[in-house]
Amino acid sequence: MDALINKRIKEVLKGDQNAFAEIVELYQDKLYRICYRMLGNKHEAEDIAQEAFVRAFINIHTFDTNRKFSTWLYRIGTNLCIDRIRKKKPDYYLDAEVAGTEGLNMYSQIASKEELPEQEVLKMEMQDRVQYEISRLPDKYRAVIVLKYMEDLPLQEISDILEMPLGTVKTRIHRGREALRKQLSNM
Amino acid sequence: MNNCPDHIVHYMHEHLDGDISREHELELQAHLTSCPSCQQHMHELGKVAVFVQSASHITAPSGFVENVIARMPKETSKVGMKR
Repeated sequence: MDALINKRIKEVLKGDQNAFAEIVELYQDKLYRICYRMLGNKHEAEDIAQEAFVRAFINIHTFDTNRKFSTWLYRIGTNLCIDRIRKKKPDYYLDAEVAGTEGLNMYSQIASKEELPEQEVLKMEMQDRVQYEISRLPDKYRAVIVLKYMEDLPLQEISDILEMPLGTVKTRIHRGREALRKQLSNM
Repeated sequence: MNNCPDHIVHYMHEHLDGDISREHELELQAHLTSCPSCQQHMHELGKVAVFVQSASHITAPSGFVENVIARMPKETSKVGMKR
């Protein structure tokens, strides 16, 4: 896969835009899925995933072909998703941590007020339920959980994508998993 | 579980990440055999993975590639290719 991708990248660098279409073809489902899981909205996921490919195309000359293309592409995509999630937050002060509640901030408290009644949640289709529970996760845990479980990526690769120390990735997976465990305790 | 050492839960996560030392694994297993509430905790954590992975396959919407191509800069792309 990587040898093929590197061949296509060389063709793109020589000015062949069609070669880039083939790269998009190969990665569209994976990148779209990550964006959809992060954002919880199909239209936004499509917009952001497309934007990520466009940025990858514009910056393709900065990609180091000794590295894994998917890591680089997912980094562009997850960064765009994280920016989009942050822009949706109503106010900056909502980021402030609430005293005595590690990892929780005003935003997650507000979000939790918008929780659906339990009966509604139990009626949800599995697919929607998974998306709903992931979207209730604090955003800093969401990215690691999506990459770890939806894409089944190794911890080191998640660390490379999010440009975050391996130890931080592990801590966030642990906390994200504990948060989901609590959310699912009524199942 | 309230009386259990904090590091047991940490070992559970290490186990789930496939990132646990032999020593921690042995201590975790020994603890689990004697502690039903930690067993329950471990079981629930394992369920999280099954739950999240159970989501059915999602694919990009039709016309995705064409839409990306349409959004790509045509003339200015040469600027991006300068080294």
